[in-house]
Amino acid sequence: MRFLTLILKNILRRKTRSAFTVLGISIGIATIIALGALMKGVTSGMEGVLKTGKADFSVAQSGIADFSFSRINENRTGEIQALEGVKKAAGVLMGIYPIEGNPYVFIWGVKNEDLQMFGVNIVNGSSFSQEHELIIGEVASKDMGKKVGDKLVLRQEEFNITGVFETGSIYQDKGAALSLKKLQEMEKKEGYVMVIYVELEEGANLEEICQRIEERFPDLVTIKSASELGKVDRGLEIMDAASLAVSFLAILIGGVGVTNTMMMSIYERTREIGVLRAVGWRRKRILSMILGESILLCVFSVLIGSLFGVVGVKLLTIQPLIRGIIEPMYTMDTFGRAFVVAFAVGLIGGLYPAYRASKLSPSEALRYE
Amino acid sequence: MDRIISTRNLVKTFEGGLVKALNGVNLEVSEGEFIAIMGPSGCGKSTLLHILGGLDRPTSGEVMVDEVDLCKARNLDNFRARKIGFVFQMHNLIPVLTACENVQIPMLELKLPSKERKEKAEKLLVLVGLEDRKDFVPTKLSGGERQKVAIARALANGPKILLVDEPTGNLDSASGHEVIQIFQRLNKDRRTIVLVSHDKDIAEHASVIYYMSDGKILEKTKRQATH
Repeated sequence: MRFLTLILKNILRRKTRSAFTVLGISIGIATIIALGALMKGVTSGMEGVLKTGKADFSVAQSGIADFSFSRINENRTGEIQALEGVKKAAGVLMGIYPIEGNPYVFIWGVKNEDLQMFGVNIVNGSSFSQEHELIIGEVASKDMGKKVGDKLVLRQEEFNITGVFETGSIYQDKGAALSLKKLQEMEKKEGYVMVIYVELEEGANLEEICQRIEERFPDLVTIKSASELGKVDRGLEIMDAASLAVSFLAILIGGVGVTNTMMMSIYERTREIGVLRAVGWRRKRILSMILGESILLCVFSVLIGSLFGVVGVKLLTIQPLIRGIIEPMYTMDTFGRAFVVAFAVGLIGGLYPAYRASKLSPSEALRYE
Repeated sequence: MDRIISTRNLVKTFEGGLVKALNGVNLEVSEGEFIAIMGPSGCGKSTLLHILGGLDRPTSGEVMVDEVDLCKARNLDNFRARKIGFVFQMHNLIPVLTACENVQIPMLELKLPSKERKEKAEKLLVLVGLEDRKDFVPTKLSGGERQKVAIARALANGPKILLVDEPTGNLDSASGHEVIQIFQRLNKDRRTIVLVSHDKDIAEHASVIYYMSDGKILEKTKRQATH
């Protein structure tokens, strides 16, 4: 018999109590996994939109709380393109439309000549050339069962689907693209775009050009990487803060649960701990045993909580209200964070009971009734 | 015979001196001796046993066990792990472990390889006549069998001294007799046994009986032990 076997068997003594403790911590872990995966999905989707195609960086309105609120005078596209070192600049507008039961479909307004810059690769059919034509993302095409030649209705206006495209960005591939002018008209944003994509000349200094743009146009902000998404979307920062807060709460609630379980366990086993001390076990071994039990409970919780988290997200993202907006992304980082939280819960929650057990006087423990 | 246990003016108080559990106990035990300590409940028998086993420290006085000064020794865990085997009235076996695993518990402290621990535990179960019960959990064993597992556990690290507290208190007379026979066999192999009991029939298996009352040893009776 190994020490670990004893620890494992000890937590299986009170199966129901251990199961409820594991369940309690698992819910916290599931929340961390779910929020983490959704956050990563949103960030990745946003990054895909902001760094699409050939763009080296993108430009949005400064001081906005949400990227979709960005409103830039279309003339800025030409002014940015005229800057030294800039090869091409393309202005794009976005609208959100309910289509066939899906309340949030991203519709992109983009000039035909800027489609490549926008990262569009037409895999079937051809691009739009008329006002009432559009191309549909590959994922949206499959989701909605639409193909080239079919019709799509946007706010009572009928559009012919002329092509199917893919970009690799979920927000684009789950949407559709039509002419910039038409979308500006439908959105009543004539002369405005939401984002400008910028491609640089070879050898041009990215940092220097971004700085120049922000100095020259104080109403604009440049986004070079995912870490700068917070400049145009406070929502992501809020979600990240919420995720951290949930992690903290999980530690707190789970920790209290583990402490309670372990305290009850050592009260029940006081005489037994006395015997272990009588046969020569050092305080350190008693401490390791109790801490080991609480950490093992939390390791089980990570496994079960991860499963709950993945299943929960799956159930959430098939709901019509959410489908297509958020594509969860699971990374080692998310699971690693959950594991660290669980380990911390086990360690913190088990520390006090383990300390109490190790400090028991063997003589008094043996007299305990 | 070499002296293995020696106490002088041993005093132990509780509750800040209000309760005097031991009041000047002088005791000498030679190696290989089988002694019994008798007395009414609360006379200090178990307190004395706990001090001899390094579970507690005396308030004053001297106590030497197998050349270890228990008043001065800093690490009593190591002393208990290597030199003492305890058997209690309540066996206190770990309910989720088999008999064989329970016997291995003290060996974890000596860091023996897993295989060696298992082999040693199986040999000890043979010694107490439980070779066919090694894979049984305590709930599947009778009271006498559980106490025999507790004896095997006490012998796990090969101690010279066994400290035994009311070992038959919870057993029927037949099981109690079997348990006492095991102690007699162990004593024949020169293991020192200090047995605490309030049962005269049990105590009479020892070669020397000490009578305690109010924390003092009042009388010592040497007798021919019944093997």
